Amino acid sequence: MATITLHNLTFSYPEAVAPILDQVNLTFASGQFTLLTGPSGTGKSTLLKLMTGLLSLPANQGSISFNQTNLAAIVPTDRAAQVALMFQNPNQQFAMDTVENELIFALENRQLPPQQMPQRLTAALDFVGISHLRHRHLNHLSGGEKQKVALAVIVAMDSDVILLDEPFASVDPTARASLLRRLVRLRDEAGKTIILADHDLTDYEPLIDNVVRITAEHTLAIVPQVQQPALFQAFNQRVSTHTTWPTPTSGTPLFQLKQVTLQQAQHQLLEPTDLTIYQHQTTLITGPNGSGKSTLFEALVRLQAFSGQLTYLGNDIQKLKRKAYARQVALLFQDAETQFLNITVAEELAQCQKYAYGDYFTPAHIDAALQQLNLAGHQDQVIYTLSEGQKKKLQILLMLIMQSPVLLLDEPLKGLDLASINALVQLLQTTLAATQQTLIIISHQLTGLTPLIDCHLRFDQHQLQYQEVT
Amino acid sequence: MNPSIKLLLLLVIALEISFTMIISLNVALVVLAIIYLGLHGTKLKTLAWLLVVPLLPAIGLWSTQYINGSGDKTLMAWVLFTRIYAFVFTGATFTLTTNILQLADALEQNWHLPSKFAYGVLAAYNLVPKIQHEVKVIRAAGLMRGQQLSFWSPQLYFKAILVSINWSQNLAQAMASHGFVEDAPRTHYRHSAVHARDWIILGLGIIGMQIGVFVIPWH
Repeated sequence: MATITLHNLTFSYPEAVAPILDQVNLTFASGQFTLLTGPSGTGKSTLLKLMTGLLSLPANQGSISFNQTNLAAIVPTDRAAQVALMFQNPNQQFAMDTVENELIFALENRQLPPQQMPQRLTAALDFVGISHLRHRHLNHLSGGEKQKVALAVIVAMDSDVILLDEPFASVDPTARASLLRRLVRLRDEAGKTIILADHDLTDYEPLIDNVVRITAEHTLAIVPQVQQPALFQAFNQRVSTHTTWPTPTSGTPLFQLKQVTLQQAQHQLLEPTDLTIYQHQTTLITGPNGSGKSTLFEALVRLQAFSGQLTYLGNDIQKLKRKAYARQVALLFQDAETQFLNITVAEELAQCQKYAYGDYFTPAHIDAALQQLNLAGHQDQVIYTLSEGQKKKLQILLMLIMQSPVLLLDEPLKGLDLASINALVQLLQTTLAATQQTLIIISHQLTGLTPLIDCHLRFDQHQLQYQEVT
Repeated sequence: MNPSIKLLLLLVIALEISFTMIISLNVALVVLAIIYLGLHGTKLKTLAWLLVVPLLPAIGLWSTQYINGSGDKTLMAWVLFTRIYAFVFTGATFTLTTNILQLADALEQNWHLPSKFAYGVLAAYNLVPKIQHEVKVIRAAGLMRGQQLSFWSPQLYFKAILVSINWSQNLAQAMASHGFVEDAPRTHYRHSAVHARDWIILGLGIIGMQIGVFVIPWH
């Protein structure tokens, strides 16, 4: 059990003009589940890293205390007993090769006697429901599975306070619900204090005790009980929409799959499949984590081996010239940083303008888009210092400027708040109307996205087929 | 066998054959290595690769020495030829039968290397396949933006280095968040011990090597 007190906490990054957190005073009560919310780029990650001690707080900038003990005064080896953090990016939180070895690594760090480890390990894996992943390689797991492993590590380490930084950004609804159930049990049965940062508030209402918001003044405010329903309302609408999408039957075939199979390591992802994806239709692909959606995209851009035949506008993609094909079909990577080639925002924009395949994006258009996406004024910033949400928005803008005839978007809404999503979907709609590009979108999150979609493919149980509902 | 002792023995052997000119000794080491690998269930195909891959550099060294060498050209040419194979096969007895995790455990527990070093090496090793894929992805990302990043393009390397720095920072944070503290005491689940047997094998190996170098009158 631990109460966390923030006292006059102020923090600014060396390169920033204004502090990202300014005179924050707040107490997180012990044994409660608090939802921390606020637009992307407002300092949620920074706050959580400060609370974990991963970022150190300069002297005279306030204090963070766990049960009245200043975090800075807690011996580093005891910190993990106090607080653990689950990261936003599932790919970057493990040091070892397999699930079991990662758990052992964490328990060794906590100096648990070796004879207690097997029992603790089994219990943690059982608690999260992933005993079957025990001997798997972390590199071969999907985003959702990795987040479950990350939670298992935290459970095994038995930290009093569990912090989660947008943990569900790349997790499907089923896995998300399962993780949330576990967190609630950790609070109710083990008395853990849980602070979870998220901007997508779907499903949280019945689970949480408090909502804390990052305000425009760079401080934290508790959202009073009476105002909470309004906050959740915007997200509940998605549950009540019953959109159906027709199965397309006519049109120009863009991609044709003939007996295509996909495999990862020894794992079959897609059974032999025949399918047509049509031109000038926006196709949405949904499916649980690890079903193989991203692998399918990688196969479409020839970054992943497959068997069978895949044609683009009637040509076998294996026989097309790599360079020419890349100008036709571009992929928006799930990890925004993968897309960047330069250092500053302005350099990236200039590069895209230089190599763009169309002239829809004039400098004026780009400025307007930057305004719309709330990215104006960041032109001289180093891309890698942008927040995850800002990176994502910039990445999408860059790939839109390129105007490749086909754009595959892998989780384009990942890590974005509602305002950003709306701005982005609007930008996509106006751009599509002018450029006639074809989009294929993988997304778990459908809030705000539905107006764009023409048809829907479901990837589940090694099958990929058209479905009218999600 | 304790991997660190095995590594030590192999280093001694490698050092010694670098300074000796006994063809039969090199051949004997290759034969011993093949027997060892065979006992550890190494596939025939792997063994065949080990024979084929070093052939080109071995022939290169042989011909250089045979054509341009001084002194006993034929002897030196064959010494170098067999030495390459001795290096490759004795090296393979380590790389093909030892798990990097066991080596890290031995270095940390038996030789008291800083755990930061042991786990840093391990983590870097685990990243290798990811890095290979990443280079492919970076080049594809370039093409999609209309830019061809060739293997001599500075942008490719800049990007790869940037990605690596970023990964290493994230890795450090990940390790810290899983309770890792530099130089702090840790417990060990996989116990790595240096047994008397290991010392005996090391001793016998080194003695055997000296006999091979100085005592047996090889021809």
